[in-house]
Amino acid sequence: MASTGILVVLIVVTIVLTAVLLVRPSITAGTTGKILAFVALCILPALCIEAGMSTHMQRSEQTQFCVSCHSMETHGQSLYVDDPTYLAAQHFQNHRVSPDMACYACHTDYTIYGPFKDKLQGVKRIYIQYLSTPPATIHISGGYSNLQCLHCHAGARGFEENPVHHAMMDSLKTNQVSCISSGCHDTVHNASEVGHLKMWRPGQ
Amino acid sequence: MKFTGLGIQTFIRMASALIILGAIVEMVSLRWVHPLAFVLFAFVAITLLGLGILIYLASLVFAASTAGENPGRNAKAGN
Repeated sequence: MASTGILVVLIVVTIVLTAVLLVRPSITAGTTGKILAFVALCILPALCIEAGMSTHMQRSEQTQFCVSCHSMETHGQSLYVDDPTYLAAQHFQNHRVSPDMACYACHTDYTIYGPFKDKLQGVKRIYIQYLSTPPATIHISGGYSNLQCLHCHAGARGFEENPVHHAMMDSLKTNQVSCISSGCHDTVHNASEVGHLKMWRPGQ
Repeated sequence: MKFTGLGIQTFIRMASALIILGAIVEMVSLRWVHPLAFVLFAFVAITLLGLGILIYLASLVFAASTAGENPGRNAKAGN
């Protein structure tokens, strides 16, 4: 990844310039030294924080990132279930969402502070994973909103012209009827059953 | 401990050490894609780098100026 390469170069430059100041702080007595100190101890570290945060935010949107948590392993495996009724698997296998960002595409709320709120939720889950007792079944706090489905499906011909969708469009848009728990698309991950199901193997 | 009693070089050394440490932690956090890498960066690296920047900025305000550290200013003031 090019941006990570640039960030690594930035960090190395910061370390080298800062090391010069650590070894010889007396050079800050001169004008050049003062400029060097300002760049090495203020500008470059601030850039390291900004670029590092941006890189980590991008990485945390990757499917690989989400399923690297032990408690998310079965959810990751559920993306490969060879059954067209499995909603998450169908979206992932047919590239209805980008496979590299499959979790993020369906679980972010697409608001201006959505990614930030996702990270706060993520930190809370890390706390539960490592410092508390993870629940046997993972639930989304506040439930799953239809708005996350409608972000892509609203306005799509196949969705809008479907008579079932058309008849309840207002209820769907106001979240009164849930897409995934009202008897229509109820099988999403079903992670607890993944071990007993036939799996799709790409390329076979 | 009084801030004003410390020389600017002490502040620079402290800031440099914290920034180097923070940069190394950030480098380590980039090595793998895992939620703990994000936590390492967000809570450890940012804290160290931020503290380093703050100590450097504090040095500009609070550090004691001595003859050896700031010859230009002393020469102008004392001739």
